[in-house]
Amino acid sequence: MPRILVLDVPEFRPLVDDARARDGYSVSGPKLGYWRIEAAGALEFRRKALGVKPAVWHGALTGGLIGRIDRFDNDVMRIVDGESP
Amino acid sequence: MPHPIPIAGVHHTARPTWKLAETVHFYRDLLGLPLVHAISARGWGPEEHADFLHFFFDAGNGATIAFFYYIGTAPADFAVARDDYRYRATHTAWRVETREQLLECRAQVEAAGIPVKYQIRHEMIESIYFDDPNGYPIEVTWQVRRFSPLDIEDARRTVEAGVALEQAAQAGGERFASIEQVWRTKARELERDMEHA
Repeated sequence: MPRILVLDVPEFRPLVDDARARDGYSVSGPKLGYWRIEAAGALEFRRKALGVKPAVWHGALTGGLIGRIDRFDNDVMRIVDGESP
Repeated sequence: MPHPIPIAGVHHTARPTWKLAETVHFYRDLLGLPLVHAISARGWGPEEHADFLHFFFDAGNGATIAFFYYIGTAPADFAVARDDYRYRATHTAWRVETREQLLECRAQVEAAGIPVKYQIRHEMIESIYFDDPNGYPIEVTWQVRRFSPLDIEDARRTVEAGVALEQAAQAGGERFASIEQVWRTKARELERDMEHA
């Protein structure tokens, strides 16, 4: 199950709020200062829906990643099971 | 960890210039930073050293922006500004205390005819960027909030993941080639710590 860890600071809070409002996304924590967001299929976020600027967006996985980045551009981040080759 | 060395902020930054009049005009007349000190000296010291002017503009809060003007010399290749992110990595960010002051800076810089290249909101700071006549990048920034203990702990985790990956690559292991490796390494460590928390 792909998952990400999100540092519990205001800059990354939109990821947590967005995930909480989505069906099939599970949000737990914060533990040791990090939220855990996971989903059975893929985790997908859209920058404009989160309302974050590009500099924050491109560092949004800094808390940690368990999965494979299927897409990560200026608009969409999608994480699926597995590791990048 | 040892006690920090007892430093207390910036006294001066210093860079070379081969554009004396333009540099003085830019910092003193356009940005309005008072010229507060100037050294004029013969070259001295162990190396062959040009005669020089070394002058300082007040940058607020006890800090100054300093330049060396090496008389009769040509710009050294390594000191010529390049349009490359690795060159721009060497810069100084000057602090303002509020977002209003940042916007005031922007308005004043633009009113002086200096193009503002970017205004960027980062994680903890928001900055404007512009260049001086030497091509040196200048950043003015305000910090949105103070660093918390969590920011500090997270910084340790991030940098230690990077160090481990660099060391593994140097020892002949996996090439350290992308930020994904840091995110994965950090996640492994964190989940291990969470299990024991």
